[in-house]
Amino acid sequence: MMKSTHKLQTEQIVAGYESKKILHGIDVVIPNNQINVIIGPNACGKSTLLKTMARLIKPIAGDVILDGKSIHKIPPKKLAKVLGVLPQSPIAPEGISVADLVGRGRFPHQSLLSGWSEKDYQAVEEAMDMMGITELANRHLDELSGGQRQRVWIAMALAQQTDILFLDEPTTFLDITYQVEILDLLTDLNRKYGTTIVMVLHDINLAARYADYIFALRKGELIAEGRPSEIITDELIKEIFELNCTVIEDPVSKSPMIIPRGRYHVCS
Amino acid sequence: MNSNVAKRPVGHKRSYYAAIMIIFFLLLCVSIVASLVFGSRSVTLDDLMAGLFLSSSDSYAAAVVSERIPRTVFSLLCGGALGVSGALMQAVTRNPLADPSILGVNTGASLFVVIGIAFFNISTAGQYIWLSIVGAILTAIIVYGIGSMGRTGNTPLKLVLAGAATSAILSSLISAIMLPRSFVMDQFRFWQVGSVGAANWDFIVIFLPFLASGILLAFIMAPSLNALLLGDEIATGQGVRTGLLTLLSAFTGVILCGAVTALAGPIGFIGLLATHLMRLIFGPDLRLIIPMSAISGAAILTIADVLGRLIGSPGEVEAGIITAFIGAPVLILLATKLKVRSL
Repeated sequence: MMKSTHKLQTEQIVAGYESKKILHGIDVVIPNNQINVIIGPNACGKSTLLKTMARLIKPIAGDVILDGKSIHKIPPKKLAKVLGVLPQSPIAPEGISVADLVGRGRFPHQSLLSGWSEKDYQAVEEAMDMMGITELANRHLDELSGGQRQRVWIAMALAQQTDILFLDEPTTFLDITYQVEILDLLTDLNRKYGTTIVMVLHDINLAARYADYIFALRKGELIAEGRPSEIITDELIKEIFELNCTVIEDPVSKSPMIIPRGRYHVCS
Repeated sequence: MNSNVAKRPVGHKRSYYAAIMIIFFLLLCVSIVASLVFGSRSVTLDDLMAGLFLSSSDSYAAAVVSERIPRTVFSLLCGGALGVSGALMQAVTRNPLADPSILGVNTGASLFVVIGIAFFNISTAGQYIWLSIVGAILTAIIVYGIGSMGRTGNTPLKLVLAGAATSAILSSLISAIMLPRSFVMDQFRFWQVGSVGAANWDFIVIFLPFLASGILLAFIMAPSLNALLLGDEIATGQGVRTGLLTLLSAFTGVILCGAVTALAGPIGFIGLLATHLMRLIFGPDLRLIIPMSAISGAAILTIADVLGRLIGSPGEVEAGIITAFIGAPVLILLATKLKVRSL
């Protein structure tokens, strides 16, 4: 396993619009070689935080610092070799083939005249192999199922070969089977290459199971951060989601697992 | 691991692509020969050879051929420029229906030229080009603004409607300016419908720098535009300065069509026809689509010009009329099949 040595942190990020700020001064240091998950209720700013760290949004105040330098001062193509990002709804050109799309991930590594190098081919091949889509190479993206398509997009991000990879809700719209499959594949990636993963997940239980480290947000503030087993408690969930729950041990992974309590179906 | 798989992203069907490219080059050659041979007075191939290669040849037919050379060169250049312009506009707006004529950019360029002639006594090709480009840029901004209004942002069809509406207004302004001024009318009757018939070497010399820099820029931007087609966020994540790229490629597309319009008038639908044909064959890779749209655009406009000469013989029907005749039905066909985002 390779160890990435990059240090990514935010300094007092304020983001959103002048009139309506979404993040109110967030300070985080992203632990290296870990799977980091941002959780929080709808509209808490978790996606905004991810996009700001991934330089898709420019903060109103504060900065994102990579290895001691503002990411907005690093040449974009150079930065793209370190920070990769898969947004929530990427656009696929009509009629594009799987291999062609994965190959587009090599853009930051190519110059106008260089063409395709052996390294490019290798990266694409490896990414497709890892995501188990080698067989689909010549299929059109339009023909694939949602789960397959998501694997293709992740393979494209993978082909970019960045040490840090951001994913905005990579499991949304997928069946539970595919959600687990995608999270397993991302764990493969983290274990094999030591890729630092930062993602937003909706499902707290999957987050608690797959994350090494969790950032919990509420109303644009960072409420808690740490290992899932250390921070996921009844009180934290109550504070963040305003939801009564009982936290038990996940029988499969031994990670914390929340059991929500609603107004009905509660046996004293 | 199987290395064949890895070669596929750029290499698969390579021989198929090569064959298609050769076919288009041949088509281009055929259109060139046809453009030199056919006309109100058709010549034989012997005359053609004599006209092309024997400077001393004094036969009437050879003279006809050498007269037709600038026209042929000019129609090739205009067609190529319009093809590239269409490909750029489609990529930047992520709109498969984008084309200089459909978005009304051509008409805006024409309006400015007509204003220049009617009110400012503009008369040289160099002046036409600059006026035309300013008109094209302003129109592009207005159409994009109108198309982006409302809750849904700019959808392909809204942009097309904004283009059509703007174009209608601008056309009526052109008529209002031209009709009471017979001198403008005479000078520009042929020009208003789009024609390559008035071409001469001076036109070509003035036009060439715009064309060359536009096409060069388009080639350089092609890989980045490929990234942009995956959405602004992915493009940013891959290291593309999306704002700059969008601006620069829109600007390049508009300048190319503005320069063509200044000299040939508003020739429509070449960008739409050429780019769609190429996307159908080569898929969504702009590194192929942009250069091939230049070639197919050149061939299509030149053939349209030849057809116009044959149909209208002994006079001629302007190329702009022919391209509209072919292009409009294609637009309708595409619009009915359109998914909201299909680029």
